[in-house]
Amino acid sequence: MKIGIPRALLYHYYYPFWKTYFDSLGIETVVSSPTNKWIMDKGIKYSVPEICVPIKVYLGHVLELIDRGVDYIFVPRFVSIQKGQFFCPKFMGLPDIIRHTFPEMEPVMLSPYVESTTDDLATSLKQYQIFEDKFGITRSDNRKALKKAETVWKLFREYSLNGYDIPEATQKAMSEGCQTIGDYKRSLDDKYEYAEVTIGVLGYVYNIYDSVISLDIVNRLKEMGVRIKTFEMIDDETLKKQLANMPKTLFWTFSDKLFAAGNHFYHDPDVDGIIHVTAFGCGPDSMLGKLLELDSTKFEKPFMTVRIDEHSGENHLQTRAEAFVDMLKRRKRKLKKGALA
Amino acid sequence: MKVTFPYMGTTVVYKKLLEMLGHDVILPPKPTRKTIDIGVKYSPEFACFPLKVIMGSYFEAIQKGAEVIVTSGGNGPCRAGFYERVHQRILESEGHDIDFIVFDSMFRDPQTFYRNIERLRDGTPWHKVLKSLLLIYDMIGKLDHLEKEVQRIRAYEKNRGETTRIWEAIQKDFDQAYTSHTMKSAFKKGKEKLQSIPVKHVDKEDCIKIGIVGEIYVVMEDSINMKMEQLLNSLGAEVERSQYLSQWVTYNMLPKWINWTHEKAVLKKGEPYIPILIGGHAKQSVGQIVDYGQRDFDGVVHLMPFGCLPELVSQSIVPKISEDYNIPVLTISLDEQTGIANNQTRVEAFLDLVRGKRKQRLNKEEKMVGKKPESYCTSG
Ligand code: SF4
Ligand code: SF4
Repeated sequence: MKIGIPRALLYHYYYPFWKTYFDSLGIETVVSSPTNKWIMDKGIKYSVPEICVPIKVYLGHVLELIDRGVDYIFVPRFVSIQKGQFFCPKFMGLPDIIRHTFPEMEPVMLSPYVESTTDDLATSLKQYQIFEDKFGITRSDNRKALKKAETVWKLFREYSLNGYDIPEATQKAMSEGCQTIGDYKRSLDDKYEYAEVTIGVLGYVYNIYDSVISLDIVNRLKEMGVRIKTFEMIDDETLKKQLANMPKTLFWTFSDKLFAAGNHFYHDPDVDGIIHVTAFGCGPDSMLGKLLELDSTKFEKPFMTVRIDEHSGENHLQTRAEAFVDMLKRRKRKLKKGALA
Repeated sequence: MKVTFPYMGTTVVYKKLLEMLGHDVILPPKPTRKTIDIGVKYSPEFACFPLKVIMGSYFEAIQKGAEVIVTSGGNGPCRAGFYERVHQRILESEGHDIDFIVFDSMFRDPQTFYRNIERLRDGTPWHKVLKSLLLIYDMIGKLDHLEKEVQRIRAYEKNRGETTRIWEAIQKDFDQAYTSHTMKSAFKKGKEKLQSIPVKHVDKEDCIKIGIVGEIYVVMEDSINMKMEQLLNSLGAEVERSQYLSQWVTYNMLPKWINWTHEKAVLKKGEPYIPILIGGHAKQSVGQIVDYGQRDFDGVVHLMPFGCLPELVSQSIVPKISEDYNIPVLTISLDEQTGIANNQTRVEAFLDLVRGKRKQRLNKEEKMVGKKPESYCTSG
């Protein structure tokens, strides 16, 4: 028996957790291929035209898994991972979109309700009870599997917090398994040492780390010798502090994290500029993006919005990114000179 | 205080309430092309359509002298709860330092709610406040009652435009009424006026009923929904909306445990399709389509603002419900172009489809029962 996991949306944040969990229960998993043209085209074909790209892509991934003959598809319903906060309506309704678009899929969908008070999914056992009934797993095995998953996921988060991006952190955490290694600190032997500028890249993990959706912006910037900071590299305390200063926050957990990270980047002297990567039609981003953009003048830090959709052109992005990076470099040199003079 | 508020539906209601609390009310102008243009200019591109329209209408109200904006935070976890932050910040960056009084649900944050009431009450004695509230509540109910009549009669009016004219006059009468007595007579007069409208005779088999569902703002505010109700009426269809102000108020004012409103029942009907509240009115929309399906409506027009998060979820599900309940649904996404465009053809084509379906159904019934349905005039 095989469970298919779509390589989309929060796969990019919870894969180490899910994979470890299913592995230790002895359940085989299949992950869909990295987003490709087939997946993209299928997703677009079966979604309503106005919906944001990541959701379209998700549908494509689901279809690929079905095509590959999995027995079940894992489509969790993310409702809340923080008290009083929710997910973007499209996450909350995701299983509904899928089961009503493809009624034949309903019986093979595994859709636990994700409702907990922290982003550590192991804290609410309730979500995982559906697996006990479905696959005849005992409560204690279930607990053990969750514990393991939690350990690996925490390790993964630890790597992120130390400056590794998600693919790096995933790889490190998963290859080490449960044996913790003391030093997560990013070794400074790579290019970063020489990085002239640091850019805070704001965007949801499922956009930033899907190299087709985001046209691989992270690696493009890295190639230009830029150091990257993203929201998942900032610890919760810092983010919370930013939010506490605001009269009102958004309703959505990850949007809030981005909003807080954006504000943090404005205050962080290490960050020279901010790039907001947003999907065409993303509602939450339109609001936080506007507020952050308006703040750009106040903090005298350059802010650029990169809007991605299924037709985004690579060349255009490359040119814009290069121009932005050049501008930051020039600016930095000038500032330095000014300080010396 | 010179106060204003977002424009939505029967505005005389909010105007009256604020007046009775002793404020100078700056009535925002009804949204026009210009309002929308201003709103679009200052709002983020992918903000939902209502945010943009309201943005524009704030700028217009400020030009007319408004100093304070009273608004509600919207219900359910959606963007509306954050509108005011964005609006305020944008106004600020344009040099308008405007005060906002935002009413979120009183159950979520009773303290702020109370503080806001105190600010609005501004010294008006409590018994007077209570009296005003009751009066307003009464007025909303009466207006909704009359509006439902309007939505039916207008489909059969002999003289094009007469019903709308009379409906506007009725709202003016209510605007002048400040006591329960005058309100009662405005109501009575309104009813009579509506009944006196000359109507055409239409056979029962040709009477069609269309329900309108969707996000509350675009459903309630006709200036940005292509005047959908009037359009459907003018094409000979009776109309019912999924939302009326009185329902909205009751639903939002009652605590959960005694909340047996229509809205509750509708939510229940949406459950098989969307089991939880996902924000905005998605679940209501879905439930309402089911409701119309069960009540044998002939079709549903589903209105959503462009880029509306929850309604995109319902839009994805609509084809399934439409199939399950065998009811045609037309989803229209409204934005700065389509909102006030004269887009009759789509709606006309839809109504043709609806009529065709109805004929088919009646024919089937006829065969089963073996006699022609009796002909009579709906507006009797
Ligand atoms: S947060 Fe934005 S990008 Fe993510 S699902 Fe919602 S609308 Fe789409
Ligand atoms: S329900 Fe739709 S229109 Fe209302 S705030 Fe949410 S996204 Fe905007």
